[in-house]
Amino acid sequence: MNQFVKIFLSVLFLTTLVSCDEFLDVNQNPNSPGSATLPLSSKLSAALVATVNLETGTINQVGAFWGGYWGTNNDGINQFLDLKTFNGPEIRHQRDGILIWENTFNAMLYYKLIQQEAELKDARFYAGVSKIMLGWHFLRLVDIYNGVPFDDALTNTLSPAYEDGKTVYEKAMALISAGISDLKNTPAGSEAGADDVVFKGNTLSWIKFANTIKLRALIRQSEVSSQSSYIASQIQLIQQEGSGFLGKGESALIQPGYLETSGKLNPFWENYYRNLQGVSTSNREMIRPTVYLIDQYKLRNDPRLANLYTTVDGEYKGVLFGNPETLPNFERIATSAFKGPLENDGKPAAIFKRYNQPSVLMGSYESLFLQAEAVQRGWLPGSAKGLYEQAIQDSFAYMEVPASAFAAYNAQATVNFDQAVDKIERIIGQKWLALNSISSIEAWNDYRRTGFPDFPNSLNAPTPTSRPLRFMYPESERMTNNEQTNRMGSDETLKDPVWWDQ
Amino acid sequence: MNFYKTAQLLLLLLLGMSCSLVAQRVSVTGKVLDQNSGEPLAGTTILVRGTSEATLTDANGAFKIDVAEDAVLVASFIGFETHEVALAGRSSLTISLKENVNMLSELIVTGALGIRRSSKELGASAQVVGGDNLNQGKVINPLTGLSGKVSGLRINMYDSKVDPEIQISLRGMRSLSRSNGIDGRNPNAPIYVVDGVPIPSISRLNPNDIESITVLKGANAAALYGSEGVNGALMITTKSGQKGKGRVTISNTTTFSQVYLLPQAQTRFGQGINGVYSPAEYVSWGPEFDGTMKDFGGVLPDGSQPQMLFAAPTTDNRLGMFQTGLNQQNDVSFSGGDENGTYFLSSQYVKIKGIIPGDESDRINLRFNGTRRFGKLNTSYTVNYAHFSKSMTPDGPWITSYQLPANIDFSQFKDWRNPLSIGNPLNYFTAISGVRNPFFLAENFRQNAQQQVLNGKIELDYSFTPWLKAIYRVGLYSLSEETRNTTGKFAATGTRNVNGAVTDGTNSYRRLNSDFIVTATKDFGKFNTRLLLGQNLRTDDKKSTSIGSSNLLYPDLFNPDSRTGELSGSVALTQYRAAAAYGEFTAGYDNFLYLTFTGRNDWVSVLSPENRSYFYPGVSASFIASEALDFLNKSNTISFAKLYASWNKTGNVTLTPYQLNNAYSQANGFPFGNIIGFYPSLTNPNPSIKPEFVTSFETGFQLGLLNNRLNIDGAYVFSESNGQIFNANVSRATGYNTAYINAGTMTNDVVELGISGDVIHRSKLKWNLGFNFTYINNQVKELYDGATSRQNFRQSYAIIGRQYPTLIVTDYERDPQGRVVIDAATGNPLVAAAADTVGTLVPPYQMGISSSFKWKGLSLGLQFDWRMGGWMYSETIPRMYTAGTHPATVAYDRQPFIYPNSVIKTEDGTYEPNTSVYSAGDRAYWQRQGAVQSNTMAPSNFFKLRELNLSYNLPKALLGGQRFVREASIGFVATNLFIIRHKDNDQGDPEYLYNNTDGYSSFRQVPPYRTYGFNLNVSF
Repeated sequence: MNQFVKIFLSVLFLTTLVSCDEFLDVNQNPNSPGSATLPLSSKLSAALVATVNLETGTINQVGAFWGGYWGTNNDGINQFLDLKTFNGPEIRHQRDGILIWENTFNAMLYYKLIQQEAELKDARFYAGVSKIMLGWHFLRLVDIYNGVPFDDALTNTLSPAYEDGKTVYEKAMALISAGISDLKNTPAGSEAGADDVVFKGNTLSWIKFANTIKLRALIRQSEVSSQSSYIASQIQLIQQEGSGFLGKGESALIQPGYLETSGKLNPFWENYYRNLQGVSTSNREMIRPTVYLIDQYKLRNDPRLANLYTTVDGEYKGVLFGNPETLPNFERIATSAFKGPLENDGKPAAIFKRYNQPSVLMGSYESLFLQAEAVQRGWLPGSAKGLYEQAIQDSFAYMEVPASAFAAYNAQATVNFDQAVDKIERIIGQKWLALNSISSIEAWNDYRRTGFPDFPNSLNAPTPTSRPLRFMYPESERMTNNEQTNRMGSDETLKDPVWWDQ
Repeated sequence: MNFYKTAQLLLLLLLGMSCSLVAQRVSVTGKVLDQNSGEPLAGTTILVRGTSEATLTDANGAFKIDVAEDAVLVASFIGFETHEVALAGRSSLTISLKENVNMLSELIVTGALGIRRSSKELGASAQVVGGDNLNQGKVINPLTGLSGKVSGLRINMYDSKVDPEIQISLRGMRSLSRSNGIDGRNPNAPIYVVDGVPIPSISRLNPNDIESITVLKGANAAALYGSEGVNGALMITTKSGQKGKGRVTISNTTTFSQVYLLPQAQTRFGQGINGVYSPAEYVSWGPEFDGTMKDFGGVLPDGSQPQMLFAAPTTDNRLGMFQTGLNQQNDVSFSGGDENGTYFLSSQYVKIKGIIPGDESDRINLRFNGTRRFGKLNTSYTVNYAHFSKSMTPDGPWITSYQLPANIDFSQFKDWRNPLSIGNPLNYFTAISGVRNPFFLAENFRQNAQQQVLNGKIELDYSFTPWLKAIYRVGLYSLSEETRNTTGKFAATGTRNVNGAVTDGTNSYRRLNSDFIVTATKDFGKFNTRLLLGQNLRTDDKKSTSIGSSNLLYPDLFNPDSRTGELSGSVALTQYRAAAAYGEFTAGYDNFLYLTFTGRNDWVSVLSPENRSYFYPGVSASFIASEALDFLNKSNTISFAKLYASWNKTGNVTLTPYQLNNAYSQANGFPFGNIIGFYPSLTNPNPSIKPEFVTSFETGFQLGLLNNRLNIDGAYVFSESNGQIFNANVSRATGYNTAYINAGTMTNDVVELGISGDVIHRSKLKWNLGFNFTYINNQVKELYDGATSRQNFRQSYAIIGRQYPTLIVTDYERDPQGRVVIDAATGNPLVAAAADTVGTLVPPYQMGISSSFKWKGLSLGLQFDWRMGGWMYSETIPRMYTAGTHPATVAYDRQPFIYPNSVIKTEDGTYEPNTSVYSAGDRAYWQRQGAVQSNTMAPSNFFKLRELNLSYNLPKALLGGQRFVREASIGFVATNLFIIRHKDNDQGDPEYLYNNTDGYSSFRQVPPYRTYGFNLNVSF
């Protein structure tokens, strides 16, 4: 019966409609291209910019507050409260929280789609770069959340299974290695061009960068005694590969071609310095260096300080992180703000140089400090002192300090490598000064790993000794993948460290 | 040939009619009486059929008229059945009019496709709401007028802006999806059909144009609408003219709106931090009010230091943010007609002044409905034009005002342009707080829109033979909208800086809908049958264009051309096509047994070619026991009894166009010159998505008792929806935010009961009480990907075995006795790792009570609305905790305290009462408590007097002396006069849902208001 009715109705329909298919075939999107229309080059540039925006934005900001660099003046007393109070539940909040998990996985999706398409088209360069960047993001996620999905991540599995932090670390290392091997097998001429907004298709630079990411991951495990043989084997792999690490002057910078128009300025500039119309942003008006940070530069007569911050009556004035009280000496106008060209006679300053300055993914100085530490720990051959000094010199160069200032600086007992009692502390201390507001997340990572430098706690911490150890799993994940987050057990910000923090 | 003959006949008829005009005229006198009481009916219209000659009866019910001796008189009086009397040579006569009662056996409903049919043959439930009842509260949006009046129907008005939005749901949720279709309709909303033509929205319709709304409840009643009717249909019939003398009606309604039910706030502590006063602060964490004058804000540019009284306020200062709104409706309508045609012409002008200063909207409606008969061809057409414009501020002003200290007098902030005013953005506001002056926000951030809606239809109805008829109906709905959002430039540093911005947009949407329907009826003895076959085509075309700049150069010049930086803009084109073929076969036996079969096949453009055609059938039966069974037929108690049942299946596609493939777009500043960068959409597309299907079974009864003075109806419905098309939130570790899937199974058990009766029924005193009850038990049976629960929106979830959506909140860690566990180290209550499942966010129980009381010319209409069993949660509350304005934050005088009835977990895992660990009771502590979601939820139960209408019809005696004014009435109307809420709800009106969510109220919403005012009606 149904069949009969159906046939009858269809006939009726067809007699009245001449071309049914034509009538219905209107589902081609006239507004946006699909994946097939777009070349890989138009996707890689986008993915890399997404990564660096996240790195120099949210992630850098968390690190800057939790790594001892930033506090706020009285104007910002009600801002960044979740970070000042180490309020885990507030941070994981879907709406008002800090969405590192969500944004990172989105960025990883971009690479995953590139990787899949590149493997299909045998575009080795794109496959290699996307694997390296996926590795970068997995490592970051573990640093912040501990265990995360790896095998199930970025697949069609709607509720990906989590793996513990150590496993993800090791799998991410392997993924980066696979990326290096893709790059090594890239036929000449098939590299990316201008769309590789980091190294313009230079495979050697990419491999060095990849090795540096791996070194950073290994250094992170320095305090996990059970990992020593793993570390040794991985170091051996890097040495066998042979390209080395990012060296002096070799920073991983991202320059898509920032323009002097809103939304196209360097985002770090636009968020933390001045907008298109030259108006000082609210972040610049509220964020201030901590007293401790100022003191550390002062202690070393550090020439970088003058390029970093403005003065108040000739003095550098910091604030106390998490201070809940509005005291007169922490007024906006009584404290030092970020310095940029407008406060520097039009010359580029330490971290604010031009609206179109490239974004820093990883500075050469960070790579050099990592190498110095690895040498100091006996993992790599070479001179820890030499690498340490090169690193400072590169930081000076980045922060617009004349090279000539280095010798006097390095001669000081507070700086000189040879005079240091604890060499690791010295390396980390200088690394801390070099990465200030650039790759601030490393400051929090190093603090959790080594306890250096010993910057004061937030005055708004739940207890005087409690420090933030991690982010809780985000609410979005609790809501969509609850079984897995529950399986990972307690994820308290103040209680449950990530795997390498021992 | 036939046509020629017909035309000849028509001509002859016309000639005949004109001949009758010269027939001899006589003078007739008469009297009109109420058949029931025998009392005279003053003001009855006596019309001479086929002419425009008419008169009215006087106070004694008497009339006198000069007419042709063979004339037919038509007597009509409101509330009575129209009666026709042939004069047949008489010169004096008495006409008795029979009062209109709701004769269930005679009830005509507007069925699917706009076909009017006897309710007897309907195997599903339909409820008719008349225009008068709909307009009882003098609503501006017709949907609001339905609230509480129809069982199974839930209407929420959820905004107090000048263009309030409405959520509507009929018989519960069938779709998990929350995103609107191309036409802007929510996937759980019924279809709106105006005079036979489906249109996306009726909120721009003039409620006074509506003759009646038939609510076809559920897919069974609306089976022929297929996918669009899966949630039922609201069949709106607009007014048409009547044969006879033209009628002019003028009315004015003026009402005032006043904000009410603000969330409660503390009034003990003022601005500052840690108990210390701070003139620059906005949060209320300072000292207790002490009645002294204190510095407020910084030093003004002229060197003066403003001060403010630091004392507990005597009134709620937050009310200073609001004004009394004004709503005005002016209506004029003309109607009339003759033997061959009718017309109805109306216009309405509505002006709303909002409760937020500066917000206003107005609407102009014009409608022309007409019919014309050409022999076998009946034509009808409607044209409705609405022009709507609004100017309003976005959400900002209210967000600020509930965060400000209780002693702050808002009036001093109004003069914000003055550099010496404390309200100037350079002075008190923004520096520390990031909160802006609410008046600055209201004036400086504007959203303007102008909408024009043109909709209408042409209907041709041709009777080939008495048993074969064809209808062709084509309807157009066209919406064009111009929007302009502006932000005035305010140059300053940091958070005080406001970039000037403008976005100009145009949206146009056009929908064409055509139906071609053939019906054949044939009687075989006691059997009567009807076959209907039809075909539907629908095309939707939409274009949105926007252009703007967020870097304007000048504060008062809003043109993207005066800017720095680049122009921003976008264009989106969307097309949707659907076609359908449907059929219905009805067989009736001896007027007491009816059986109907339906079938429909849909073709939609949004699915892939292999999935886009789908068929579904239905069957229904109705049995009129009062006709069939002899003992009932003879019963004096039971006047009407009907039993019915139906089953059907309906396919549905809630997908919007272009969702089968991932669309890439440029973002993050791309393109940078020649460097392009495309990002995929973060919604995981699904090319193989299929239609969802709803299977629905319904059975019910209708009873008319005591000569139809008491009517009872009831229905039970079971519906199951399978494979819902759902844009599901998925783990972000998939890389995507959401994914399109065909998700699980959801069922609805619905019980509906309606009782309506005349408690008092005398000629001068009438009291009717109506009562409707709905219980909806919605359950999620199965979800996708093996999950037992899935997030829907924020704290709202779909959980297997529970109602959808269900509220899940974070709560404290508790010992087995339910006592809160305190962290011995910090004194903070511990938050449980696992969240707490609370209950449904949609009230499962609803009841509407209506009372209509009439005494002589006086009438009082009341509409009560009661909803029970649901939960709500508010996002305003956590922010009030943070700002220190929430009453809970002063419960312990801002001092350390021992959390009442709390426990400490000992090392061996047992719990001992906490007698020594103090909770801090300071800002950080209370902020943490605000983030514990169990503190921000409440049962959403309420009982409210939704509408009150007291009106007085001027006595005929007053009008009797003249022939000009036929009727006049004055009245008092009010909405939301009182509300009873659950004692735990200090958050607001549970009906106010943010942005089409369930049970969720946001700080962005403007708080609710009540209205009261006057209404005046005159007809000529």
